Amino acid sequence: MKRRLHSRRGWLGNTISYVYLTVLAIFAVFPLLWIILSSVKEKGELTQNPTAILPQSVTWENFRIVFEQLNFGTNIKNSIIIAGSTTLIAIVISSLGAYGVVRFFPRFGKLMTRVLITTYMFPPILLAVPYAIIMGRIGMMNNRAGLVIVYLSISVPYALWLLVGFIHTVPLEIEEAARVDGANKLQVFYKVVLPITAPGIVAVAIYTFINVWNEFLYSLIMINSSSKMTIAVALRSLTGQEVLDWGVMMAASTIVVLPSVIFFMLIQKRIAGGLAQGAVKS
Amino acid sequence: MKKRISVILMTAMLTAALAACSSGTGSGTSQSDAAASQADTAASVAADTSATAETTDAGETEQPAESELEGEITFWHSFTQGPRLENIQAAADAFMTDHPKVKINIETYSWGDFYTKWTTGLASGNVPDMSTARAGEVVEMINADAIIPLDDLIDSIGRDRFYESPIQEMTYTDGQCYAVPIYSHAYVMWYRKDLLEKYNLDVPKTWEEFNAAATAITEGENGEVYGCSVPMGTNDNYATSFLDVYVGSARESLLTQDRKPNLTSQTALDGIQFWVDMYHNNSPADSINFNTLDQATLYYQGKNAFDFNSGFHIGGVESNTPDLLDYIDCAPIPTPSGDGNPDYIVNNMPMVVWKNSEHPEICKAFIEYFYSPDRYIPFLHSVPVGMMPALKEITNDPAFLENDTIKKYQNAMETISNALSHGTYTAMEYGPCVEAGILANQRVIEGMFQDIVLNGTPVEDAAAAAEAQLLELFSAAE
Amino acid sequence: MPVKRKTISSLTSWLFVLPALLVVVLLMLYPVTSSIFYSFTNKNLIKADFRMIGLDNYKAILTDNTFWTAFLTNLKWTAASLLGQLLIGFSAALALNRIKKGSGIYRTLLIIPWAFPSIVLAFSWKWILNGVSGFLPNLLVKLGICDTTPQFLSSAALAFPTLVFLNIWFGAPLMMVNILSALQTVPQDQYESARMDGASPLQSFVHITFPHIRMVVGLLVVLRTIWVFNSFDIIYLITGGGPGSITKTVPIYAYDTGWGMRMLGKSSAVTVLLLLSLLFICSMYFKLLNRWEKENA
Repeated sequence: MKRRLHSRRGWLGNTISYVYLTVLAIFAVFPLLWIILSSVKEKGELTQNPTAILPQSVTWENFRIVFEQLNFGTNIKNSIIIAGSTTLIAIVISSLGAYGVVRFFPRFGKLMTRVLITTYMFPPILLAVPYAIIMGRIGMMNNRAGLVIVYLSISVPYALWLLVGFIHTVPLEIEEAARVDGANKLQVFYKVVLPITAPGIVAVAIYTFINVWNEFLYSLIMINSSSKMTIAVALRSLTGQEVLDWGVMMAASTIVVLPSVIFFMLIQKRIAGGLAQGAVKS
Repeated sequence: MKKRISVILMTAMLTAALAACSSGTGSGTSQSDAAASQADTAASVAADTSATAETTDAGETEQPAESELEGEITFWHSFTQGPRLENIQAAADAFMTDHPKVKINIETYSWGDFYTKWTTGLASGNVPDMSTARAGEVVEMINADAIIPLDDLIDSIGRDRFYESPIQEMTYTDGQCYAVPIYSHAYVMWYRKDLLEKYNLDVPKTWEEFNAAATAITEGENGEVYGCSVPMGTNDNYATSFLDVYVGSARESLLTQDRKPNLTSQTALDGIQFWVDMYHNNSPADSINFNTLDQATLYYQGKNAFDFNSGFHIGGVESNTPDLLDYIDCAPIPTPSGDGNPDYIVNNMPMVVWKNSEHPEICKAFIEYFYSPDRYIPFLHSVPVGMMPALKEITNDPAFLENDTIKKYQNAMETISNALSHGTYTAMEYGPCVEAGILANQRVIEGMFQDIVLNGTPVEDAAAAAEAQLLELFSAAE
Repeated sequence: MPVKRKTISSLTSWLFVLPALLVVVLLMLYPVTSSIFYSFTNKNLIKADFRMIGLDNYKAILTDNTFWTAFLTNLKWTAASLLGQLLIGFSAALALNRIKKGSGIYRTLLIIPWAFPSIVLAFSWKWILNGVSGFLPNLLVKLGICDTTPQFLSSAALAFPTLVFLNIWFGAPLMMVNILSALQTVPQDQYESARMDGASPLQSFVHITFPHIRMVVGLLVVLRTIWVFNSFDIIYLITGGGPGSITKTVPIYAYDTGWGMRMLGKSSAVTVLLLLSLLFICSMYFKLLNRWEKENA
């Protein structure tokens, strides 16, 4: 009796789940679909027939314009270099730091965590002008390394904070066993701690990468040359004053967003490794 | 083991270094190469000789031109798209061919960001060598001691070759002129011939007629076409322009002669009320957040019957809805009484040279080169009728007139040319001043319009509040 | 010998934390202190000279109605966005955790919004919601739901809810992914035994699921609160704070003050106030989290 009730309830729950997820998926996917479809529509169709879903005829004109007028390849490359190096450096610095704080300076750790969370709270807009001034002074304005440095300052605090939690999950006994075997601190870190915390590190790395990849304000302020601009700012410069061509903007958006969607699909299992799990222990 | 870790660290550092170093390349983009190949070398040689001829006319002041120009300059402009961008790049490329030791880096920003860029740039010591600017911003740049006077350049090109009013407009209280106009345009009334015909309407000459015509079209078209969209977005200063169009049509100004905001004069109040009513009756609700671009797009797509803008509208319609090209035209701005010449909004796009520049001589030489007919006319032709020459002789130059669009829109050419000599930039009726820039760029008037529309604030109260807010900004700027 | 060894050892200990310390101290110290310093001056963004004016900036801001409106908007924006993200993220995670077939595909599709850079998010939704030729407004008219095209981004009634919706759209996947992975750590045998005892699904959620994942959820909420409270891009790129000041949050207000009016001093004071209120909110969160942590232990 009970069992049957259960399976009926299970069936209902499953159906509701599928319906609910399908509705959410439509919302999640529609904008992507729509920019792709809009990017291949003819000019007239775009505005004359706003509710038509499929294009009457497919045109690649918008993509031609985007590639001819804009140096999108360079901008995408810049974004990858900047987001990639920020992530790499931030992760190296923060995982070393997190391990050091947890193992060697545990008392100082509590204070440090507080300081870190506070720095993470600084509104980016508060820091924009001072960063511009200091980077101008040391000649790092309009410089991708300069932008990486600025991004480090917004990435390291929370990466460190999250990683402290992951390091806490490493059982001390394993480390001690390695110490007994004669490994030094760096070796213990590298051989024992890193593999155990790898899923967490990857998750934090992805999170860092995404935040930097999407960042707009600092990138706008710090970079002047179009050859050094990130994709977000290059896209923004498409909104000219006298001409607004939705078709072209959609084509450019497609070019930007499609690779990141594919990237997400590939790494989604890793993201699911979860950031917050580690943070629980901090 | 240590080695492996140091390898990781090294890689990290290397990537950062890579980000820093690979910056040197680039800049000479593919589109510029294409454009440059079109530019014919013979023309550029001819241009160069004519430029040198001018220089010798000017006399001793320009002696650096004798020695070879050498150095790198950065040029920021906001022509983010299309043939204008290509034309400027082509000019720079040709100039660099003539002066092999000169490098010109061109960077473009959209209007809104341009402002953020140069203000932050000034704070961090990171500004270009030369740039375009908005008319209202030049005074701010002068006040911040950021740009240099260009009188020597103007004299070298020939002061009498320029139209007088733009030069006057850019001459500061210290008697020096800090910018050169690269082109001019004026706001006129754009309309749709086919719609006027359909509803049996004449081209409106008074605001009353204008209102009647817009209303007739809105009602007749039943939402397909709006009579006159009124843009009030706070991302742009278009509502200020609309109000200025109305106030100017009564030959008044948004600033008083002693540089106080003038929003509570009877004309200004009438103007505010007029546009608020127009918004409620004949404008899409969305226009409350429209910027220049949204507004223009509506006309380009044939969904707006009347609009106030420059000759740029032709190009916009051409690229959006070419079928409409035969049905658009422009006319003088309506006036309260129907007679008399209105005061137009005239925009003389300024080009400025920054004080930080290590090579002002290159900037000046390049600007002078840019004005040579072989460079300048193709540039103007990239937005025909939209960009009107800043040099008198070009206006009648057969090469300039030899353009299909210019020939087709004779009436528009005349209307706009006439407007150019009867007006100034918003609130500059009594000369250039910081207050005019603040009034045009601080979005206070846009905020006022939105307040009236969204909160139902009475026009008088909203205008008085906006005036107070502007006064506060004026005093803060001192 | 042992002494020397100990020194080396503590030296290497320091080497671990040094780079991170340098980044945090060097990179944050100057900007933060200079911002706080500017907040007591009348510094103009584009002028070099300035003078100390004490608390004048703070006085001016705290007596400015626009600031308080923006502050209230900021609170509403943060609360509504977070609640929505949490609700959608949580329910989606529960649903994903429940279904057997196709959960991989659904998860892949549902994280797509997270891949949208804010500029693309702005472009695409502005186009979809465009009041003249946007898909959604015209569809609603076509279906007879609305008489005229609804102005999602420019009507006083719709602009704010629309922005919140977009922020939920963008932020829910992050919640979903993390909550899902937390759900998967809940030991299944506890559910089994609860079911044996005749517990309803709601009961087992309250007594088993929630206690297990609440720390994760709590930290996610802290992380996202900070992020959303300070967020600038989405609003700036989509409405710029308009229409009127309806979507003007404190970061936008600070931007308008600092860049629009070039009052860098005043704008710094605004952001310092923003930081202080955020510190207050987060200290409340942490109190709760600490209590939970003690209960769990």
